[in-house]
Amino acid sequence: MYLILSSIFFPILAGLFLLIRYRTPLSGEKRAIDRKALTTLTGIFLLITAALVIAALLHAEEGFTLFYLTKTLPIYFRIDSVGRLFSMLAVIVLPCAGFFSFEYMKHEERESRYYGFYLLAFGVLNALCSAGNLITFYLFFELLTMTSMPLVLHSCSREAVMAGLKYLFYSLCGAYAALFGIYFLYQNCDSLAFTADGALRASSIVEHGGFLLVTAFVMLLGFGVKAGMFPMHAWLPTAHPVAPAPASAVLSAVIVKAGVLAIIRVLGMFGRDFLRGTWVQSVWISLTLVTVFMGSLLAYREPVLKKRLAYSTVSQLSYILFGLAVMQETAFTGALCHVLAHGFIKASLFLCAGAIIYKTGKTRVGELRGIGKEMPLTMWCFTIASLGLIGIPPTGGFVSKWYLALGSLKSGLPVFDVLGPVILLVSALLTAGYLLPPVIHGFFPGADYDYGSLQNKEPCRLMTVPIFILTTASVFIGLFPDSVSGIIAAAFTGR
Amino acid sequence: MDFICNFPFFSILISLFSGTICSVLPAKAAKAVNRLVIAAVGLMSAVLLLYLLSTGESFIYWMGHFPAPWGNEIRAGVLEAGMALFFCVIMYLSMAGGAHKLPDEVVESKHSLYYILVNLLLSSLLALVYTNDMFTAYVFVEINTISACGLIMIRQVGRTIEAAVRYMIMSLLGSGLLLFGLCIMYDLTGHLLMSNIKESVALIMANGEYQIPLIVAVALMCIGLCIKSALFPFHAWLPDAYGYSTVSSAAILSSLVSKGYIFLLIKIIYRVIGFDIFNSTRIIDVLFVFGLMGMIFGSLSAIKENDIRRMIAFSSVAQIGYIYMGFGMGTQAGMVASIFHILSHAATKSLLFIAAIGLTDVSGGSRKFIDLTGAAYRNKWAGVAFTAGSLSMVGIPLFSGFISKLLFAQAAVQVEGKMLASLIVLGISTVLNAVYFMKTVIRIYTSEQDAPYKSITFRDRKAYTVVLVCSILLNVILGVSSQPVVDMIGQGLAMFA
Amino acid sequence: MGPNLLANYGEAVSAILFCIGFTNLLLQTNLIKKIIGLNIMDSAIYLFLAEKGYIAGRAAPIVVDGVTSVEAYINPIPSGLVLTGIVVSVSVTALMLSLTIRLYLRYHTLDLDEISMQLKREGK
Repeated sequence: MYLILSSIFFPILAGLFLLIRYRTPLSGEKRAIDRKALTTLTGIFLLITAALVIAALLHAEEGFTLFYLTKTLPIYFRIDSVGRLFSMLAVIVLPCAGFFSFEYMKHEERESRYYGFYLLAFGVLNALCSAGNLITFYLFFELLTMTSMPLVLHSCSREAVMAGLKYLFYSLCGAYAALFGIYFLYQNCDSLAFTADGALRASSIVEHGGFLLVTAFVMLLGFGVKAGMFPMHAWLPTAHPVAPAPASAVLSAVIVKAGVLAIIRVLGMFGRDFLRGTWVQSVWISLTLVTVFMGSLLAYREPVLKKRLAYSTVSQLSYILFGLAVMQETAFTGALCHVLAHGFIKASLFLCAGAIIYKTGKTRVGELRGIGKEMPLTMWCFTIASLGLIGIPPTGGFVSKWYLALGSLKSGLPVFDVLGPVILLVSALLTAGYLLPPVIHGFFPGADYDYGSLQNKEPCRLMTVPIFILTTASVFIGLFPDSVSGIIAAAFTGR
Repeated sequence: MDFICNFPFFSILISLFSGTICSVLPAKAAKAVNRLVIAAVGLMSAVLLLYLLSTGESFIYWMGHFPAPWGNEIRAGVLEAGMALFFCVIMYLSMAGGAHKLPDEVVESKHSLYYILVNLLLSSLLALVYTNDMFTAYVFVEINTISACGLIMIRQVGRTIEAAVRYMIMSLLGSGLLLFGLCIMYDLTGHLLMSNIKESVALIMANGEYQIPLIVAVALMCIGLCIKSALFPFHAWLPDAYGYSTVSSAAILSSLVSKGYIFLLIKIIYRVIGFDIFNSTRIIDVLFVFGLMGMIFGSLSAIKENDIRRMIAFSSVAQIGYIYMGFGMGTQAGMVASIFHILSHAATKSLLFIAAIGLTDVSGGSRKFIDLTGAAYRNKWAGVAFTAGSLSMVGIPLFSGFISKLLFAQAAVQVEGKMLASLIVLGISTVLNAVYFMKTVIRIYTSEQDAPYKSITFRDRKAYTVVLVCSILLNVILGVSSQPVVDMIGQGLAMFA
Repeated sequence: MGPNLLANYGEAVSAILFCIGFTNLLLQTNLIKKIIGLNIMDSAIYLFLAEKGYIAGRAAPIVVDGVTSVEAYINPIPSGLVLTGIVVSVSVTALMLSLTIRLYLRYHTLDLDEISMQLKREGK
């Protein structure tokens, strides 16, 4: 109990401390000293938090109730396998991106605020992963939006504020739609504690079956906003380019996964058996396939690198959602594998893009000619991560996509069992189409390139090491998928 | 009868008389008396609340020992005592939070007058809460109106006088309708005491005669109180009145005065007409529709507003819409949600008004959004408080606003016909709230390097900061441990019947 | 409906007067006319109350010649209510008039819309 609580409240308190510590901007030497103290402090906080989370993960614990919001609504925490999996992702990506930002944010204003909210978001994510019932989950889901919004609009330029507001409204609309569903679930369930095989009362299913399906659909759509599902995906490509690169990495790799986690929870609450074969499943699968295809297509046409990666996130997240929508064990395995693989890969890609922006100021794909010669290590990581996202063995993306396709074929759904893998394949080709050009032009700038102007622009270790770790993690998943298969199997049954 | 039973009477009386005493005292002494009275009344209400919770039943206090149906009566139950306590807390916070601005806003020689008005307002609110007699309620409604009008216009600029006139006109229309409804009620039943009227009303409904005049009377009273509490189409006076009066006045007016009328309406619904009879009329549908419209149009007007205090004022219109929507659902759960929202809105709105003044202070006194850029860095506590208030208004979990929305939604789910409409409007209104409050929060946290304004720290304004922290705590307490409050409301409503 | 209305003509008249007063208070733009409307509205209610308290053939509830029988007098409560109401209405009227004077001294007009226009022009 204390481990879970401390993994939640330590980063939150540390974040608040950093926020309160805010001073008027210093200049010159003083600023450098102040900054050093700040980054050291944040680094220590991040490491302690990571240690606490890992301790909490290793230490299997019973659920416990913190307090009662109202008489029948407890704030309840329990770590199960699904939560553990998402925690693993968060605990690797957040410290990496955090260390990356120590260098990246060097010239930004108000760093203290950034790190404060970063730690707050970390704490809230931990809470989200260990939430044990729907109302607790919803609470931290809202708080996650609130704490991650300042990361998006950190630069406080007009576009950034507008993007932040857009993010806020999409998320709030989605969260409200989900809340709407929670009210109904609350009426029709005995408790809102998470399960994997349906918590609906049998009598309710008979009485309000049709209505409950609508509720399920509204909740899926609502939480789907966070996961960038069509038609509510538009906030992602707006928010990413204006956010600082490490913030985009976290947003894209972990925070949008909160939407996926939410959908897994909702599926569990309604029960797969209740939804399988209904119109909800068909419409949902169609939406995810549309998103997969459309996201890849938009990414293919997008010239700005970070925006291209954002569209790619839209597309890849729907791979995961597709795997969930099929409601079959192999596909579920693929989906959860992809949660990890995509998390590591996308964080690495965004950090690479950030390193490029930081060192050269280039944001468009067309400008990246010869970049591989200037920043070899960064671009090698970019290449490996890209291959992973396309799904070339032995990277993480291959394993997950393999399971997704296999599960879909095994599912026996009409039309979708074949259509799904086909669209996934087409989208993989498009992924290659949008990720490989920067790599090719980066390493092979062509005969007319002026090699004399090349400089070594490799960023410092604070930037390259996190990228390297994340890339390695993505490959690790591909090489040793067995390391997570046990936990995923447990997640499917809801333990 | 225990000595404690005298407390309601005492609290009305000391606030009434201290008003008179304040008129001859110098400003400083008047301020001390005012604070002391509010604190004393709050303390008495708290003791009374504990007493009532322990005995578990309400009591009736005969004024001058004339028995019903001739005498005038005071009635105290859990809900009344709780409301009185809450009103005192909010009023104390509002007065303490606006105290430092008073010298700028009001001419020195009129300070003691200001405290008279506040004391009068308190006494009339208490009387509205405790009284068991319809005509007494009417008289105190008028006293409430007059003192509120004084509170608006004590800051002597053109806008406030105009706002006061508009406020008076709308209020007089409202109280005229209330009085007329009351007279018809008296004509039909022959009684002025709430409990006696209720018996007669039940008889009338059972007999089936005179039903139309009865409904007319009920409708007149309802419309009258709706006008006075600024339900949507009758809110034209509100933004100027709240936007230009002194800080304390704005906080008190928005969080208490309109709530006093709403509480009277609740009493009328439960104790005069009877909950079931009231719900069988079409009046609740009208209240429901206007509540929903208020929720949307109030927020829309707030979005268009370019002045922070007027924006908060328009948000009140939306919040009052919530309360009437709860009435309109016609269930016990809806009523509980509405009463909880009265508390939650009062706590939040006073916080917002007080925090807003801290922000405008460090922006050269300007209330335009453009000047508020970065104000939260110049006055950190006000920034934090405004953010907390905004989050509560938007309905983020852990703040009181979330609980009231939760209660509204739970109530809505139980009413077949009105479920969809209320949930959808609740959703739209939440998002609209988020639009304008988050816009403001981001604005005040957008840094501006070369702002020519001085910043204010904790040391400059100790009392003010303490008030802000207390208000935030009040909000969080209502948000985190709402169950005892909800239980108390339920118990109080049960005592009403 | 007809005979009822005729029998209760006092109440009918007071209701009509109330409506007249109400509309005046609501729609007139001149402040003095509004206040007159307010007074008509209040007086209409007092008329209604007085009409309700009156019992044909009885005297006002003031004890004269030692007659204390209840049968001799009309219902005294409405009269009491009217008295209280008059006090309230007088004070409210006084307040309204004083506000009107303030506004007149500042803006030299009694027209509320005109005053609003001037305020908008002042821009604060």
